[in-house]
Amino acid sequence: MEDSITFLHSSDWQLGMLRRFLGPDGQARWGQARLDAVARIGEVAEQSGAAFVVVTGDVFEHNQVERQTILRACEALKRIQVPVVLLPGNHDALEPGSLWTSSQWQAHAPKHVTVLTDTTPVEIVPGVEVVGAPWRSRRPTSDPAAAAYADLQPPPAGTTRVLLAHGQLTSLSGGMSEVPPIDQVALEAAVADGRVQYVGLGDRHSATKVTDRIWFSGTQEVTTPEETDPGNVLKVTVSQSEIEVEPIRVGAWHMVDHRVELFDEESLQALEDWFAELPDKERTYVRLAGDGSLTLPLLSRLDTMIDVQGEAFASVEKWAKFWTVRPAPDAADLDALQLSGPARAAMEELRQALAGGDEGAGAALSLMHRLARDAG
Amino acid sequence: MRLHSLTLRDFRGVKDRTVRLPALGTTVVVGDNEVGKSSLVEAFGLIFDFPDDSKSTRIRDIQPVGQDVGPTVTAELTLGGRELIYTKRWLKNRSTELAIVAADGRRTAWTGREAHNEAERLFHEYVDPVLWQTLMVSQGQSLILPSPADAEPLIAAVTAESGTPVDGASMPLVSAVEHEYLRYWTRGGRATGDYARSEKTVTAAELQAAHALKAMEDVQQDIRRAERLTLDLADVDNRLADHLSTVEEVRERKQATDEILLRRDTVRSKAETARARLVNHTRTREERERLLDEVERFTKIDVELAERRADADTVAKAATETVQAAEAALAEVIDLKDIRRTDVQDAERRVSRLVDEAELERLIGQQTELIDVRSRIVTAAAVLDKIKVDDGLFAALEDARSAVVEARAALAAGVPEVVVRRLGAEPVELSGKGVESGQKSTGRMPKELGFDESAELLVSGELTIGVPGQLEVTIRAGGEAATLRSRVDDAVRRERELLKKAGVKDVAAAREQLRRADTASAELQEARRTERSLTSAGDPGERIAVLTARLGIGDEDGEQGGSKQAAVEGVPGQMSLFEEFVSPLDTLFDDFELPEAPADDLGAAQRVLDDVRAELAGVERLLTDAEFAAAQARKAADEDRSEAQQARARSEIAEERLAAAIDSLSSARKALDDAAVSAAEADAMAEVEAVLEELTAVQEQADAAGADQVAGELVDALAVATRMQGERDTLRDALRTTEGRLEQSGRDGLATRRDMAELELADVRSEHERLERRAEAARRVYETLGRHRAEAQTKYSEPLQTRIEALGRSVYGPSFKIWLDDDLAVAERELDGIRLPIEALSTGAQEQLAIITRLAISHLVSTGDGSVPVIFDDALGWSDKARLRDMGALLGRAGDHGQVIILTCMPDRYEYVPKATFIKLDG
Repeated sequence: MEDSITFLHSSDWQLGMLRRFLGPDGQARWGQARLDAVARIGEVAEQSGAAFVVVTGDVFEHNQVERQTILRACEALKRIQVPVVLLPGNHDALEPGSLWTSSQWQAHAPKHVTVLTDTTPVEIVPGVEVVGAPWRSRRPTSDPAAAAYADLQPPPAGTTRVLLAHGQLTSLSGGMSEVPPIDQVALEAAVADGRVQYVGLGDRHSATKVTDRIWFSGTQEVTTPEETDPGNVLKVTVSQSEIEVEPIRVGAWHMVDHRVELFDEESLQALEDWFAELPDKERTYVRLAGDGSLTLPLLSRLDTMIDVQGEAFASVEKWAKFWTVRPAPDAADLDALQLSGPARAAMEELRQALAGGDEGAGAALSLMHRLARDAG
Repeated sequence: MRLHSLTLRDFRGVKDRTVRLPALGTTVVVGDNEVGKSSLVEAFGLIFDFPDDSKSTRIRDIQPVGQDVGPTVTAELTLGGRELIYTKRWLKNRSTELAIVAADGRRTAWTGREAHNEAERLFHEYVDPVLWQTLMVSQGQSLILPSPADAEPLIAAVTAESGTPVDGASMPLVSAVEHEYLRYWTRGGRATGDYARSEKTVTAAELQAAHALKAMEDVQQDIRRAERLTLDLADVDNRLADHLSTVEEVRERKQATDEILLRRDTVRSKAETARARLVNHTRTREERERLLDEVERFTKIDVELAERRADADTVAKAATETVQAAEAALAEVIDLKDIRRTDVQDAERRVSRLVDEAELERLIGQQTELIDVRSRIVTAAAVLDKIKVDDGLFAALEDARSAVVEARAALAAGVPEVVVRRLGAEPVELSGKGVESGQKSTGRMPKELGFDESAELLVSGELTIGVPGQLEVTIRAGGEAATLRSRVDDAVRRERELLKKAGVKDVAAAREQLRRADTASAELQEARRTERSLTSAGDPGERIAVLTARLGIGDEDGEQGGSKQAAVEGVPGQMSLFEEFVSPLDTLFDDFELPEAPADDLGAAQRVLDDVRAELAGVERLLTDAEFAAAQARKAADEDRSEAQQARARSEIAEERLAAAIDSLSSARKALDDAAVSAAEADAMAEVEAVLEELTAVQEQADAAGADQVAGELVDALAVATRMQGERDTLRDALRTTEGRLEQSGRDGLATRRDMAELELADVRSEHERLERRAEAARRVYETLGRHRAEAQTKYSEPLQTRIEALGRSVYGPSFKIWLDDDLAVAERELDGIRLPIEALSTGAQEQLAIITRLAISHLVSTGDGSVPVIFDDALGWSDKARLRDMGALLGRAGDHGQVIILTCMPDRYEYVPKATFIKLDG
């Protein structure tokens, strides 16, 4: 590609983020993985000959992250050998008390890292001008990107201009955003009339192509199961006339939602098989949505299975909101326990209460079943 | 299990003994103490428990003392449908032999350890240890009530009978459920263990999360504050810059007007000087005028005070005279009072004499009356002395009269009445004793009857009617007649005696005497009362003597008093101050005359006394008034004297001040005469007017240039600038402080802390919810199972309860009831409506109940393989004869269902056991 320039686009590192569902061990490993992914961006930059790296917002989870997070982020950034441009996003807005103006950041920030604190274009490498719209508050009152390009003229000949912004697009936010979205039409117009040659966006965690020259890079490492294509960095090769964007995977973790219907041994076995086939178990979080009903022995087996898989995986948990697997004890279950007298009568009472919709009776019944089985 | 025979050799004190027991029925093994009854029970236990090579002390203990022999036991029994012959010898020549004959007649034999093992196995297979222990009552344990809940044969029996499966088989589940429950809850239902701890952990985490959240909210507030402060600061900076340029403008204008103001100040200063001079001259003139006025005023005062001094002297002199007059008047009134007091004393003496005279007259009258009364007393007493009849005597007389009449009536009724009439010429003579006239006739019996004369005679003695020479009839009263006659005589005699005693002839005369006595007595009493009243104040004679002496009867010149005082002359020449006092005094002196009263008129004398007393009181009031008037006059005179002295002093002062004023005026005039003073003031006035004119001109210039306002404007503008700078500094400081805080909060990683605290909270909450679900499930299971067990327990205990009650009623009667606890032990007993816990029962009742319970258990399990003999090693030691009879019957009946073995040294206790087999052990 003639007169082209290659750089990497990433966003939403959200360093310092915590995930409840991972547990202490998972949390520590996942937190490290997010830093490792940054280091891998450095490797990709080296391998791809990228001239610089841009990060379009939310580098940190908060302005008030602990010092360890800042220091480790600085160390990770040092693993990127080329200039890095960071844009303050909504999580780390350039508001009073911002991390970016703090003495800690100022003291440890690597020299090759530039934080965009206003909309003045910066020539990051010769022939490339980077202009960004840093968030100055978590509650902007207008289009958070507009300020960066509103007064721009097309760049001088031979200069490629990259616009960095953070926020939701009108077309993707679904109107649910609490802050004003980025005006996509105006943005496309700026691209169309040559004022900017590439628009790097942040805030959306899934790598998303908006147009050929407008992209969300997505987060470098997955943060929730809802994300569709996280864990990438975008390798962008751009010239006045052409553009090539290639997502390159740098993340190592998986977060998966899995929906199952459980009603018999076969369906239970299917679930077990599904677990068995998943790769990278120690770096995978599974959120199970379940429906159906199981006999007490099968229910007991399911619980055991989830406990066991929870040990193998980073974390496996039932998605409380979508977990409606009910115990369905039948007479055969109870007969199998060979209970008689009051024990049998008590179990029968609980079974009937459960049938009548008493959820508490289900748990009691399962417990009694287990105790009877173990005692027998 | 059935025990058929037991043979002991060289076992404790038993050399060789075999006891055979019937398979069914009650057997009473009788033997004296130490004969080895208990050894039988012991031997049966040892043969199954200890192998022949056992070194246990329990085995060593059974070897007869001092004999090197091997104790041997042989038991024949039925166990699980097999017949066993089991022999064991310990210590010496040890051996074990077991022979078993199965139900089908097959015989098998073991020896040695195999024999022991097989026997032990069979025993444990067919004999439930709990039941065995329950039904075998060792010596001294007959009081212990059994708790047979865990006896398997009993469980099987009650299950079969009640139709309620007992959860004996589920006991591990019950334990597991309880164990699970106790992981989360105390028995009292409070959370415990991990569950309770997790609750506290959640609270702590909530607190921590709330703190962390609050810290971050503070950060957010600081961010907003800093944003706002930044905006405000920019605004203040802009306004301040604008304002400072305005200040500069005003400052330039002020410089231009300052020159005019300087000139105005010079003229103002001149004006001030001129005005001061004028004030000075005016003051001099005013001072001169004041001195003139003062001389004039003091002259006038001096004259006035001299006049007032003269007046005061006059008044003081007059007052002194008034005092003298008042004191003279007072002396006169004192004299008058003495005169009036003498008048009063005279009048009092006169009244006293008249009173004495009146009293003397009254006493003389009283004396006369007393003499009369005393003669009446003597007369009445004489009358009373003569009369002998009193009320008692009169009543006796009346009674005697009645007795005579009654006796006569009885005589008339009780004796024959003979009527004798002379019809012919022959004289008829009547004679006899105890004859009296009949009722219709009166008088005595005639001695002879005239012709056609008749006599009605009552014959109480003997009546002889004779016609001389012809006839004589004698009528003798018989029967009661003599008695009746004598009664009449007695009555008549009695009456006569009483009449004699009274000195009267009959009752009527006596009544008259009595009436006269009453009259005389009444008069006597009245006369004595009068006498007492006349002499109550002493003997009038004595007082008459006293009064006579006092009045000097016979000295008619005793009248005193009544002498008049000469009228007081009026006092001439009184001062006006006393006119009011003096005029009534004059009247008194003029008008009062002491009245004269007639010599013997007490009322008039009293009135005179009252009048003179009133006069005296009037004079005393007058004296008080005169004393008051004199005091007033003295006080007024003192005041007037003082007033005169003061007037004199004031006049002297006024003279001195006038002299001083005249001195001052003449000194001033020497310095500057009056005309020069006025001229100097006029000059100064002219100068002031000229300077003021000049000042007005300069002021007009300043006003035109607005000089005064410019300075004010500049001051105001500078003040506003200072205020705005202060505002800016305050904002800047606030911003710096806020930013400093934010920097610090960034260093503290507050957001991470909040996230971690929330994560921690979510974790512990999730753990707590998990524990809560488990705890609730455990509770639900525990409570549900518990409830069903309790219900089952009730049904489960029914068969045993029914048996015990049935057996008990044969001993205690139909009101006997019992209640079992969870261990199927008897907890309470009710008899005749009184329900008591077992511990509250008598020893005898407890033992009986323990035996009844065992028999009931034995009965319940009797049909199953697990039945065992009931063995009592001595019992019923606390029961009376009546109970022994009932209990004996019960023990006898128990034998119908199984093997009952009783060991005793007191066979009498069991003599009422029907159908019992008695086995006597000899020593």
